[in-house]
Amino acid sequence: MSSLNAIVPMACVTAAAIAAMVAEAFRDPGERMPIAGLGLVGLVGAAIATVLLWNHNTSSFGLVVADDFGLFVTGILIVVGLLSLAISGPTIDRERLPAGEYYALMLFATAGMMLMATASDLLVIFLALEVLSLAVYVLTGIRRESPAATEAAFKYFLLGAFSSAFFLYGIAFSYGLTGSTRLDSIRGLTASQAPAPMQLLAVGLVLVGFAFKVSAVPFHMWTPDAYEGAPPAVAGFMSTGVKAAAFAAFVRVFLSAFEPLRGQWSDVLWLIAAATMIVGTVVGVAQSNVKRMLAYSSIAHGGYLLIALLSANDVGKGAVLFYLLTYAITNIGAFGVVALLDNASRPNDRVADYAGLWNDHAALAALMTVFLLSLGGFPPMAGFIAKWYVFSAAVKAGYSGLAIIGVLTSVISVFFYLRIVVMMYMTPGNTPAQFPAVPKIAGAALVVSAILIFYLGLLPTRVLDWAAASISAF
Amino acid sequence: MTTFPILTVITFLPLLAGAAIFLCGARVARWLALAGSLATLAVSVPLYLHFDKTSTGLQFVESVPWIPSWNVEYTMGIDGISLPFIFLSTVVSVLCVGASWTAVQVRVREFYAALLLAETAMIGLFAATTVFLFYVFWELMIVPMFLLIGVWGGPRRIHAAIKFLLFTLAGSVLMLVGLITLLRTSGTLDFEALATMRPSAQLQSWLFVAFTAAFAVKVPMFPVHTWLPDAHTEAPTAGSVILAGILLKMGGYGLLRIALPILPDAVRLFRTPMLALSALAIVYGAYVTLAQTDVKRLIAYSSISHMGFVTLGIFTLNRNGVEGAILQMVNHGIVTGALFLCVGMIYERTHTREIVAYGGVAKLAPVYSTFLALFCLAAAGLPGLNSFVGEFLIISGAFDTRPWYGVMAVWGVALGTTYILWLYYRVALGEVKPGLQALRLELDLREVATLAPMAALALTIGLYPESVLSFLRVSVEQLLVASAAQVGVAGGM
Repeated sequence: MSSLNAIVPMACVTAAAIAAMVAEAFRDPGERMPIAGLGLVGLVGAAIATVLLWNHNTSSFGLVVADDFGLFVTGILIVVGLLSLAISGPTIDRERLPAGEYYALMLFATAGMMLMATASDLLVIFLALEVLSLAVYVLTGIRRESPAATEAAFKYFLLGAFSSAFFLYGIAFSYGLTGSTRLDSIRGLTASQAPAPMQLLAVGLVLVGFAFKVSAVPFHMWTPDAYEGAPPAVAGFMSTGVKAAAFAAFVRVFLSAFEPLRGQWSDVLWLIAAATMIVGTVVGVAQSNVKRMLAYSSIAHGGYLLIALLSANDVGKGAVLFYLLTYAITNIGAFGVVALLDNASRPNDRVADYAGLWNDHAALAALMTVFLLSLGGFPPMAGFIAKWYVFSAAVKAGYSGLAIIGVLTSVISVFFYLRIVVMMYMTPGNTPAQFPAVPKIAGAALVVSAILIFYLGLLPTRVLDWAAASISAF
Repeated sequence: MTTFPILTVITFLPLLAGAAIFLCGARVARWLALAGSLATLAVSVPLYLHFDKTSTGLQFVESVPWIPSWNVEYTMGIDGISLPFIFLSTVVSVLCVGASWTAVQVRVREFYAALLLAETAMIGLFAATTVFLFYVFWELMIVPMFLLIGVWGGPRRIHAAIKFLLFTLAGSVLMLVGLITLLRTSGTLDFEALATMRPSAQLQSWLFVAFTAAFAVKVPMFPVHTWLPDAHTEAPTAGSVILAGILLKMGGYGLLRIALPILPDAVRLFRTPMLALSALAIVYGAYVTLAQTDVKRLIAYSSISHMGFVTLGIFTLNRNGVEGAILQMVNHGIVTGALFLCVGMIYERTHTREIVAYGGVAKLAPVYSTFLALFCLAAAGLPGLNSFVGEFLIISGAFDTRPWYGVMAVWGVALGTTYILWLYYRVALGEVKPGLQALRLELDLREVATLAPMAALALTIGLYPESVLSFLRVSVEQLLVASAAQVGVAGGM
């Protein structure tokens, strides 16, 4: 039985998802059920399992490894899941979404993400990718009456299917050359032979698949539309959970299976990282919709994560994990504020809608400021420590050029983050009280996020050590 | 000296007071802010009593590991160079609270919280002994200042706030790059440890450009000064006072703390262009000041000229020059801060900053005009008042090494006397302007209490400059010896 231990976290979440579906199926119309509570139970179970598995390096079927790296990402995903559950309530009530389906999809997606973070076989990674993608496609379009949501979901689905095909194609080539889909076997075989053209093709195709999921330039086109069309809570979930899971697999595949070919892919990744940061921030400046702005910001943050991946010395791998954690908490917080301002009559998602927010919701404005400043990398917020970690890893690995691009783009990004601050604090609002009241649970979740941001910014040592320790595995 | 973590306490006491303000109502906010800033000032008193003026090292050192895996420590300590700035920060903060007592009527809690957060950032910056911590407080200063200008400022406040932000961020981003490079090449970010290392000349040049860009924006030096007039003009009185009193000094302090001891070769390499830019700032700033019609803008441009003296003094690289530069920073903080207070007080009554709207104020408000005269004379460099000593030291330092820059500085002093006395003439003397008669222009007790400490400081430093100079003498000597020894050229002194 011990061989099943590694899948316990995702099993907990899957069980909760199934329970949510069953609960929805047997729910009387109009009856209110605490379905989110089921998700909470599942995620807490997964958290307990994660803590128990820590440092044990368990493996199930030789396909899923619960090493500390995977468990750290699992922990991030649990945080993402909990925060997403907490901020979803208002959206579901307002939009009259089917709560059971919504939560079940969110939990299935989380389980898929966890699998993706711990999978050590290309096919299992693909499986996990599909599990999470299908759930997220549906979540994107869950507001069925809204044409924008449908358009976003359809766009996301088409492009996502395309990228999955690329990814699968890459796996097929890799399998054809090495006879295995297991990461360690592929590594052994690629290390022993000279790089064949076919193998580079395999790496390239897999890279395209990952680049799409982490919305790296030039595969980012779907991101702004999908985030804008999806309910804000889902956008927050997508922008953090999918990114964390995809990056976990990205790191695992490229730093283990394809590590021997580093000389071949590092230049390509350099270009992608630079383009991702530049496009994300420069186009972000031009956005007048907060969700699109946050979408471009999350593209740019993907670029910083790519730097960390590229400079995968001892510092770099830890930087990926720490960055993912702070980014996840911060970005969900920011989307959470967007979600709470979403009104039945109007979405309140243009930058101009934030005018005078300080007068109506001083606390929300303050929270949003914390999230935006952290995204911009201001000390003493977590974002500063995370960026410092990434940039110093890059300099140490000899990627000073990328570090400089990163620092410059993060300054440009501060400009558009602070545009919202200017709106909230310095511009008088036009119609008072256009914002809905803040529900307690969602508000508390945002406060917890803000506290975590300060904690990680002021006393990062413990988490930094965990992050650094958990990458020593490979 | 003592196990009591005095520097940490004075750094974070204002922050605590700021947090307390949020828990209480707006009515108590003023009193809490006053109590917080006064308590900070009171706690800082032992710093001056127990400061060892003969010691070359850091004093009151506190050190706790912060992020051990990165070799980053939370260390604080002060020497003779940082002490005057801590003094200035604590005093100016108290006066800012006093100056905003009636001027700020909207969002009072948030205003004082931002003010106190700024105080924390300022004191922390001057007490930090690692570049990392220095940078953290440097960045921390931006946000409250941005809000102070942008929320409580004048009509074009958003423009001014964003301009301030863009300039500052452009500078600090370069500093961050320099910081990361410095850590990578030296393995430490501790000021003292860094001063004993010596990066290659080429690297030093790059680092100098990166750090000095950040400092030059704050000072502000000539080509990057354009944010200052807008920020000064639009900021509320307390914001202007903090800008003039402390924020500009962060740049000069950075030059003294980082550029001079850590990058001595680069300092020598870039010395002539830096001197030239300083002289240009002095003269150009003074001429532009002459042309101003807005009182606040006039004082803002005079700041550029006065801060030109500071950078001139620093890059003379001799004792007189550097001591003068530090003294000039303190003096400028006192005098320009006080001038902004004066302008703010009269603006509260007249709601105009146009010079032409004033005239004959001396007849209506003799006490006010006396204070104004004192600060104007101090700004003009009248012997017996504080600015004279600093400017004199800087000019004599310049004459020792590069006489022509000394000549430029003297020219600047002459122009400075012209514009500031002309300002006083237009505002306080002459015919009483219609419209002023009906207003109660005379100061009330609170305002007198706000200005009196500044006047006392101006007189004390003017008559007995040793009161400041004695603190910094040893540290400056050590700074110059260290930087000259590293350079290995005798001509450094």
